[in-house]
Amino acid sequence: MEQIGERLGAPCFSKLSDLPMARSSLTETAVASRTRKRSHRSRRAEAIVAVLFLVPALLLVLMFRIIPLFWGFGISLTSATATDPGEFIGAANYLRALDDPNFRSSMVNAGAILLAVPFFVTIPMILAILIDQGVPGRGFFRSVYFFPAVLSSVIIGSIFSIVLGFNGSLNGALKMLGIPGVDWLGRSSTALPVTLIIQSWSTFGMGVLIFLAGLSTVPREMVEAARLEGAKMWQIWWHIIIPELRPIIEFSTVITTIGLLTSMFGLIYVLTGGGPGTSTTVPEYLIWTAQGRLNQPAYAAALSMILFAVTGILAWLQIRMLSRNANL
Amino acid sequence: MHKVGLMAAVAAIMVASPALAQEITVWDVNVDEPSNASYYDHAKSAFEAAHPGATLTFLSQPDAEYYTLLGTALASKTGPDVIWANGGAQAKNLVGGLVPLDDKLPDLISKLVGKSAFTAPDGKLYFIPTTLQGHVVYYNKALYKAAGLDPDKPPTTWAEMTKVCDAFKAQGKTACFLMANKEGYEAEFFLSEMANQSLTAQQQVDWLTGKLHWSDAPIKAILQTWVDTAKDGWYQEGGNSQTMFMDEFTLFSQGSAGNVWGLLSNVAHWKVFEKDMGVDKVGVYPMPSPTVAADQHQGAPGVPLDGGVGYGVNKDSPNVDLALDAVKTLASPEVLTYLVNDAGIVPANTLVNTSGIDSPGLKRIMGWLATSAVPTTHANSSAAELDEWHRQSQLLLNGDTTVDAAAAALDKVQAQAKPQK
Repeated sequence: MEQIGERLGAPCFSKLSDLPMARSSLTETAVASRTRKRSHRSRRAEAIVAVLFLVPALLLVLMFRIIPLFWGFGISLTSATATDPGEFIGAANYLRALDDPNFRSSMVNAGAILLAVPFFVTIPMILAILIDQGVPGRGFFRSVYFFPAVLSSVIIGSIFSIVLGFNGSLNGALKMLGIPGVDWLGRSSTALPVTLIIQSWSTFGMGVLIFLAGLSTVPREMVEAARLEGAKMWQIWWHIIIPELRPIIEFSTVITTIGLLTSMFGLIYVLTGGGPGTSTTVPEYLIWTAQGRLNQPAYAAALSMILFAVTGILAWLQIRMLSRNANL
Repeated sequence: MHKVGLMAAVAAIMVASPALAQEITVWDVNVDEPSNASYYDHAKSAFEAAHPGATLTFLSQPDAEYYTLLGTALASKTGPDVIWANGGAQAKNLVGGLVPLDDKLPDLISKLVGKSAFTAPDGKLYFIPTTLQGHVVYYNKALYKAAGLDPDKPPTTWAEMTKVCDAFKAQGKTACFLMANKEGYEAEFFLSEMANQSLTAQQQVDWLTGKLHWSDAPIKAILQTWVDTAKDGWYQEGGNSQTMFMDEFTLFSQGSAGNVWGLLSNVAHWKVFEKDMGVDKVGVYPMPSPTVAADQHQGAPGVPLDGGVGYGVNKDSPNVDLALDAVKTLASPEVLTYLVNDAGIVPANTLVNTSGIDSPGLKRIMGWLATSAVPTTHANSSAAELDEWHRQSQLLLNGDTTVDAAAAALDKVQAQAKPQK
């Protein structure tokens, strides 16, 4: 009736108002209209409050993320140094990056690091499932696994510099077994794998925590029902737990990828200094070198923009791929 | 009339107040060093006594991030009035933001040595050096004796140097030299130590201007010596993961190797080793090289010497004249005497009296400085070349590249950093 009234327009209301049913409907319409107005006012007030809450965060993001991003892009198109604003040189810094063997090497290293992402995601997931399934001493393991996550990368780097130095504890133990020592951090073949293992050790506790939070959303009844039906442990994992964890796997994969590409600087700085040669140099380390050591902020900005684009594309691809799988 | 007078007084105070509250800030990484405390205290007192109402404030900066922080501050026009810097590539990177000093402090400059580390390609001096930095070899006399060597006769030629390292190798207990190339700094020292006798004076000039290339015979020979000495077992294992400051020098003081490439001022120098090891336990000699250039002398190696650290004036400082006076105070012989006596630096100001220091090591060093000083080759390299040399030196040590390939990679960087017209 309300819809009819609306379609008929205002002149028709006088005729319809003679009918008792129509009168009642009109009253309802008036009430609904008032309710709608109140609701509209309420939604507007809510929106204003929401905006007020969001404004500080938006301003911070704008000021410290968005503006510097565009500012950095502007600098990347110049020949600026620390003491000279330089001049517009177009894409020269980007072309230079393509011709820079150290940058190419850092991108190859980044690719090698990305190959390790499945391990960075899988290991915490398996450990979290084991804890969640009720292994003995799970409270202890939960604390121990998380412990490295509270240490700064500089402290972790310093600890492992001592452990993995040529005269360090690991080689000392190997020598006791009659195995010759290895310069773990000074050989090109071992430096990057060792760095990745340390990075994994220092971050997997956070991954375990994230997966434990995700596991709390897996329906217990479904797991119990499967168990009662005689499903084996691996079948429960494969057919119930892991599919239920898909959003968490997706989240963990994306943040691990971004973290590996943009947050390994502290560890590399202390552990290997990017060497030997460029064997542990990643793009973010090269960005710091260009800015901090070589006084080339414009080139550093260009490298930053490339890293931003690569990280953005990878994150987008991962989200797209994993979301599509989740809908299957 | 009273009102006019009052307004004039207020206006006068407002105009005068910036002058009354003038503060000169100095950024320096050594402020927290206990042995330097008396130097900074006396510099502050002398400056503030000479400029009533002005204050001299030293702001300690982290060593590792110093040039990143400074570059950012200068770019945003928020840098300090007075800037501390190491001589060489880093100082030369900053000159665009500094005041040229040649016409501002001519009397002081005429008394200084070690200026080339702070002289820009335009020929102007942008920092006043306060210390001299140089490279010599310190050796452990007890270990020399244990290896069957005469501790009072350090090597003066490459043949003698080889015999010393052969003796350490034969003994098999300690390395001949310590190698600490995790950051690539040992390779920098090595370049200057080897070039000191193997390059002619003209080749040193050509190196500075970029006319002498990494692939040219004299420099390639240095790269080859780097590889050969490693193959000949001069160094301990794990050199590419060994840090230099200060682990390497602590290891030397503890008797881990017979020799170490050390410095003259600030750190890893005669005063530190004499204090840690005992005056009669440590000796010093200039490093010989395999080839001796036509204008050099066999058996008399030179000492790579240049300005160590210095102070410059920010061109955007609101008080440039006062900042210049602060630099003058920091480099004055009266104030530098405290740095010499307490920290054991070798001063860049020739008017500083060092005769009171009773150190056999320093006396020998001062003698060489008067007769055998040569340019510090790595300080005359660009920052980009040194950065690449760090990488290539590590690859050469590991056998991951060849001398020819390393020289070619370094040539490419040199051509970009020092373009030839």
